[in-house]
Amino acid sequence: MAKRVVIVGGGAAGMQTALELKSRGIEPVIVERDIELGGKARGWHKLFPSFTPAGDIMRPLADRIRAERIRCFYGQEVTAISSDGVMLRSGERMPADAVVIATGFTLFDAHRKQEYGYGLYDNVITSVDLERMMNSGKVLLADGSEPRRIAILHCVGSRDEKVCQKHCSKVCCITGVKQAIELKEMFPTADVFNFYMDIRMFGPGYEELYREAQQRYNVHFVRGRISEAAETINKRIQIKAEDTLTGRPLKMTVDMLVLLVGMSANYENEALASTAGLSLAPNGYFKANDSFLGVVRSEREGIFFAGAATAPKSLADTLAEAALTASMVDEYLKNRYNEK
Amino acid sequence: MTFFAPFTIPFIVGGLFMFAVVALKWSLWIVRLPRVDRRLIRHNFFTRETLIAVWEVVRESLLHVRIFRVNPLLGFMHMSLAFGWFLLIVVGWIETTAYLGWQWVPLQGHVFFKYFMPINGIVGDIHLFEHLMDALLLMVLTGVALAWYKRVRSKAMGMRRTTKHVLFDRVALSALWFIFPARLVAESLTAAVHGGGGFLTGSIGHWLQTLLGADVLHSLYEPAWWFYSTALGVFFVAMPFSRYMHIFTEIPLIFLRRWKLHPTAERKSYDRFEVEACSRCGICIDPCQLQADLGMNDTQSVYFLRDRRYNMLSLKVANNCLMCGRCEQQCPVGINLATLRLNSRAKRRNIPHEGRFKYLRGVDHSSGSGRVGYFAGCMTSLTPAVQRSMQHIFSVAGEDVWYADRDGGVCCGRPLMLSGETDAARKMVAYNTDLFRRHEIDVLVTSCPICLKVFRESYRLDGIEVLHHSEYIDRLIASGRIKVQTETRTFAYHDPCELGRGCGIYDEPRRVIGAVGRLLEPRHTRRDALCCGASLANTVIDDGQQQRIAQRMTDELVATNCDTIVTACPLCNKAISRAAGQPTEDIAEIVAKNIIV
Amino acid sequence: MRNLNFGYGISRPRAIDMDNNDLRKSNAIIHEMPELQACIGCGSCTASCTAGGITDFNFRKLHTAVRRGEYRGAYEELNKCMLCGKCRLVCPRGINTRAMVMLIKRKLGDY
Repeated sequence: MAKRVVIVGGGAAGMQTALELKSRGIEPVIVERDIELGGKARGWHKLFPSFTPAGDIMRPLADRIRAERIRCFYGQEVTAISSDGVMLRSGERMPADAVVIATGFTLFDAHRKQEYGYGLYDNVITSVDLERMMNSGKVLLADGSEPRRIAILHCVGSRDEKVCQKHCSKVCCITGVKQAIELKEMFPTADVFNFYMDIRMFGPGYEELYREAQQRYNVHFVRGRISEAAETINKRIQIKAEDTLTGRPLKMTVDMLVLLVGMSANYENEALASTAGLSLAPNGYFKANDSFLGVVRSEREGIFFAGAATAPKSLADTLAEAALTASMVDEYLKNRYNEK
Repeated sequence: MTFFAPFTIPFIVGGLFMFAVVALKWSLWIVRLPRVDRRLIRHNFFTRETLIAVWEVVRESLLHVRIFRVNPLLGFMHMSLAFGWFLLIVVGWIETTAYLGWQWVPLQGHVFFKYFMPINGIVGDIHLFEHLMDALLLMVLTGVALAWYKRVRSKAMGMRRTTKHVLFDRVALSALWFIFPARLVAESLTAAVHGGGGFLTGSIGHWLQTLLGADVLHSLYEPAWWFYSTALGVFFVAMPFSRYMHIFTEIPLIFLRRWKLHPTAERKSYDRFEVEACSRCGICIDPCQLQADLGMNDTQSVYFLRDRRYNMLSLKVANNCLMCGRCEQQCPVGINLATLRLNSRAKRRNIPHEGRFKYLRGVDHSSGSGRVGYFAGCMTSLTPAVQRSMQHIFSVAGEDVWYADRDGGVCCGRPLMLSGETDAARKMVAYNTDLFRRHEIDVLVTSCPICLKVFRESYRLDGIEVLHHSEYIDRLIASGRIKVQTETRTFAYHDPCELGRGCGIYDEPRRVIGAVGRLLEPRHTRRDALCCGASLANTVIDDGQQQRIAQRMTDELVATNCDTIVTACPLCNKAISRAAGQPTEDIAEIVAKNIIV
Repeated sequence: MRNLNFGYGISRPRAIDMDNNDLRKSNAIIHEMPELQACIGCGSCTASCTAGGITDFNFRKLHTAVRRGEYRGAYEELNKCMLCGKCRLVCPRGINTRAMVMLIKRKLGDY
């Protein structure tokens, strides 16, 4: 009989792990909190650095899950994890031979940085809001007009100890570059300013895209973090930063302020980790067994990780890691049941 | 009778020394008082205040009523020691007079009366005084026993931690602990040898008589009195240099305070009365969150006053205080702890150069016009929801508002004062006062309790009423100028230190919240409310430590199971939002959301 | 050009001479508050600065210069600070900027 693996979370990491396991003759079961698969990548417009529509990646994954008849439980929340199964909020126990934690991350709540006025000023939006707007085909100001001057602020809820987010969310820099280009393509005459502390272009093609944004799209990069934003009478946003490269305070009024919100650890991680006997990293993410060969292994036998449950990751990294997770699970099951 | 025996020498020498030192200290402090303070004394000497002070001395220096409020057992301990000893002296005096009539008896004659007149009982043979004196001795001994017990188990006295003492304190304390047991032994031995004694010393004497031979009793007799006298002598010598100086300092302090003397931003001679009036009882340690949350044990008011008194105050101790006022609230002596801490910082170099803040000249970023001025405060620009809500409330109320700092203002000066730069702060005060006057406002509303406190205490704004926005909104609602609807949310309110303990504003915010929804209170509330840790007064603790303090106080707010945490200070707002992981709302926000347009 | 010239208005060699700059005071400052080294130069302190809104005061540049052993004029510059504490509230690295102003003034000034 096929060994059964419960995968907690049906986002990119969970789906990819399930498919890889299935191809190895293992029976995956996905438990998803939401009412459908896809996780955070669902509803995303285009992916960096190639501007591939997110749907082109995510839709086939979901289709294959269906085609492979992988069992999925929707609207079910996992409350406890052990190597031989999970407990659901409903009180039902779901036995398994191994468990994969693919619970991902939580988007940083931009309301927590009140000084940027998210939820307060009409034309302050997050990077996620912008993707949704682009998906709907219209990026407009609250009054329905087109933005002519846009500021994109990096590191909102990342590298900020004042909101207890010490880590770098990794993907925002390149997302900011990608969105700046998209905005410029949409509004070629608009001015787009990216406000950053450091630009971290770690992936293949990222640095090239950065340069393209600068040179080909004339996106302005200002090295300085916006300290506060205010709304003018005509609903424009007045921002304050230091242009650290000239060493002078900078004030400017923009039509739209986009906050590149970072990735936070899930609030539930703590409770889940304690039921599973796992520990968390200081930033609240699950702690991987080690940084090299055990990146998808947990401190407990039979419990594995996939994707952003252990740290902020790009979609590409997540998908690659999920394949590794499946292989590690396979190896574990083989070792364990051959021994018996 | 000469009333002299060699064993009384330690007592006499110690006593004379003590009175000489105390007299010297008093006169030096008084002589060095600034002219303003001396004038106040002259002015208020023959007033009712003096009589009130007498009563306060009885209540606080003898009965220790305020300590009873902290913990009854602790109060009893202090009372039985102070009041008991006092009565021993007074009743002893009466006893001597009763037996000897109105004749002059030297001090040691009163104190060692039992030695000089072992068998009395002249008054109708009923040994009235002996029983009375024994009862008083028992009272003091109970106090001593409790003091011993407190050393072992402070929790029983409502104190989690007690004071760590300096050498002089230890000497004086040890001597004090021996004085009354020594007296008991000496008087009991006297009763054993000569007979007599009250219910306590008499009984013990009788028991000693049956236990020990006459020779032994006689050989112990003199040493016991020597020991008693020596314990007194040692205590008297150590006393003016130890914490027990508080006995003789609190009394003049009470009078001076009643005569309206008070410490100021600059150090002065009066401070000595306050500093040395500290008995180091340690009641200030437990309320201190630096102790409770961070485990710091060297910076509480008791240690600060100790260090300042012995001239060993470090910059770190002076600066390591949130100035939340929680300890001052509980201080049984009523010492102005915050002001003393402040002027300790102020002693450091203060006037850098004349041109400081010259750049303020001619600056005016204000906008609008109206008789009501709104000063949001520096921090409020980081909580724009407060500013917007206030603007909305002003417009619904139809108020014409002059905005002092909507496009950037000048700091109120309190942060500089808190850091000891009083002179520099005066330039801010002068700048802002001039700004307010030039725009001819009648009312000044501020959203920052830090600004509020300095506007009220250090600005001369006669003719301009200074209000915190919670007071202002409360008035708008009361007078019907704005109407609010009630929503179903529950609100837990956090009292900002500067607003509550600092300015005594507790009810107005609560009334405003009550008008909008249901108010919930955390465990520590009002006068007892915890500090958010973000206080500008403390420059020593780091970000992580601030966060730990914020977390502990936020946990209490979260424990109310409220829907929303509400506060009335931008700094508290930031600290709580961070600890709670979700936005906190200001009083102004919840009103603006529910205002009926 | 005045603003690019550090604002002190005193001419000085163009390069920061790390071979000859005396770093003893700088090291003493960092020794007392190592968190100053955690600055990532985001400029939030300067952007939010109350004094910086009125005059050319730049805390980020100042403390960076001090850390490089460039002390001249720093004390006088720091006296422009109103100590209002906004910078501490916005610093993403949680640096105790107010204490830092006081510390640098104490080490470089005469009090």
